[in-house]
Amino acid sequence: MVEAVTRTLCRLALLLALLALPSAVFAHRDDQYLQATLVAIEPSGVRLQINLTPGVAVAEQVLAKIDRDRDGAISKNEAAAYAELLKRDLALRVDGRTLELKLSASEFVEPADLRTGSGTIQMEFSAIFGPLAAGPHKLTLENRHLTTISVYLINATQPRFATVQITRQKRNENQSSGEIEFNFHSASPKDR
Amino acid sequence: MADDFSERDDAIGDQFRVLDAFRDRFRSVRSYLYYSGMFDELFVRVDPWLGLRFNLAMNKKIALVLILLLGAALNSFAQTNSTPGAPTAGIVAAAKQFLATLDDAQRGKVVFAFKDEAQRKRWSNFPTGIFKRQGLRMGDLTKAQREAALALLAAALSPQGYEKVLQIVEADEVLRKSSGQSIFGRDEYYVSFLGQPSSTEPWMIQFGGHHLGLNVTLAGEQRTLAPSHTGAQPAIYELEGKTVRPLGRETDKAFALLSSLNEAQRKQAVLDFQMRDLVLGPGRDGQTIQPEGIKGSALAEKQREMLLDLASEWTGILHEAIAKAKMDEIKKNIAETWFAWSGPIERGSAAYFRIQGPTVIIEYAPQRMGGDATKHIHTIYRDPTNDYGMKWWKQ
Repeated sequence: MVEAVTRTLCRLALLLALLALPSAVFAHRDDQYLQATLVAIEPSGVRLQINLTPGVAVAEQVLAKIDRDRDGAISKNEAAAYAELLKRDLALRVDGRTLELKLSASEFVEPADLRTGSGTIQMEFSAIFGPLAAGPHKLTLENRHLTTISVYLINATQPRFATVQITRQKRNENQSSGEIEFNFHSASPKDR
Repeated sequence: MADDFSERDDAIGDQFRVLDAFRDRFRSVRSYLYYSGMFDELFVRVDPWLGLRFNLAMNKKIALVLILLLGAALNSFAQTNSTPGAPTAGIVAAAKQFLATLDDAQRGKVVFAFKDEAQRKRWSNFPTGIFKRQGLRMGDLTKAQREAALALLAAALSPQGYEKVLQIVEADEVLRKSSGQSIFGRDEYYVSFLGQPSSTEPWMIQFGGHHLGLNVTLAGEQRTLAPSHTGAQPAIYELEGKTVRPLGRETDKAFALLSSLNEAQRKQAVLDFQMRDLVLGPGRDGQTIQPEGIKGSALAEKQREMLLDLASEWTGILHEAIAKAKMDEIKKNIAETWFAWSGPIERGSAAYFRIQGPTVIIEYAPQRMGGDATKHIHTIYRDPTNDYGMKWWKQ
């Protein structure tokens, strides 16, 4: 009980100390949650590499979604639950067909690092879209995760396979959603 | 401070011009001294072009005096080696000179194994306190050690690159004074090496702090700055009655290029969405994004020159010969190099831009966080084919 109170007080003190810094001076993304997504289109599926960096002023808000038991640590179950929460806020479609995302990798930094505003949570989701017909296709991605505090980046990576050719990218103004048009060619020997 | 360093650079330039003619001769002498090893059998051969050979084994005092004189000259050369095309040997000498000023404990903290991937990637735009760096903190060094560290930077960078670095550091000092926050300021920059300074084996110099992450990889006479981060806050400030803009040329050249585009070109170049940060900033090693904007092949010759000139603000942080080789490479690929813009197009406004070609990625991103975004800028310079000089050493 005493330990829990001490820990809570320490966290509060750290938060107050960080918030005490003048925001215009501190001037790193303190009141925004940066969600930067790279979209890698491959011959058989898609990988989303998402870097999540909460600013100092919103770190507690984000941590509240992760550290659900508020014990000051991120357990495996809590990390998995947060990944699931994020996944539910993502909508990925290819040619209008919704794809099921699966978490393929994740790396959570310590809560103390997140509170500094420099800690980044990395997650990678993958989705299989099965065999695609040769020709033009369109991928759409929408991110509705914590919209009131977030800023977004969505970018297609340069394809590593000659069979995939990105032809156009479009985003809405704040990049919470994007479209990637691409051509799929029949497999070249080096892609097999 | 910037002015002091400018004056110092002039003085360095004068010293160097005197020493320049002797540089190669010193180098050949030094190689003999390095390998001679034992005084008892010392054999110093002054450069063969002089046609002089001295067997000094019989007079150790003369040998010692000669060595000291040559050592002093070489040290001076190392500290003043800011000439175009400075060879790696000069940078190695400056690095060794810096190491020689340190005690054992400091040397243990500043040199990491060349294969230390965690340290290689330990750089950031964030200030200390938020992002923990390793190596030696400038504020913990003595005056002589700091001067040796700066002499190393002067040796490794071009005069304009060195000046830019000093101006970025000075901006952080301005920020420290205006904010009263000790996480900012010129003391909060760190120097470290990966590998031992060498003219033949790969090694790396890291110098960074808030808004600065210089990663200079050297492999023989080859050098790269990729990946490196520059930034500034405030991006414009007054110092001793003069206006300083550490990234001013980048900003002005980008707006000049944008202004040169006709309506159709601008429609291609300007993206219709916000870019709130760098896409391939610190922590995004090994990633390459799909290029956007206007392609070099759609630019007029003059506009291509302007694009190259803009890119040279990053490549030119290293010495002229190295920068020229890099620019030649970018120029060769200019038709495949893209220029993208996001944000307002009025000169002086806060706008993002990106240059992306087969061997270069440059991003410039004003930071919108409550203050004036034109006064807080982040940039990144990468080479998707050779970040950290990997093509020279990675199996």
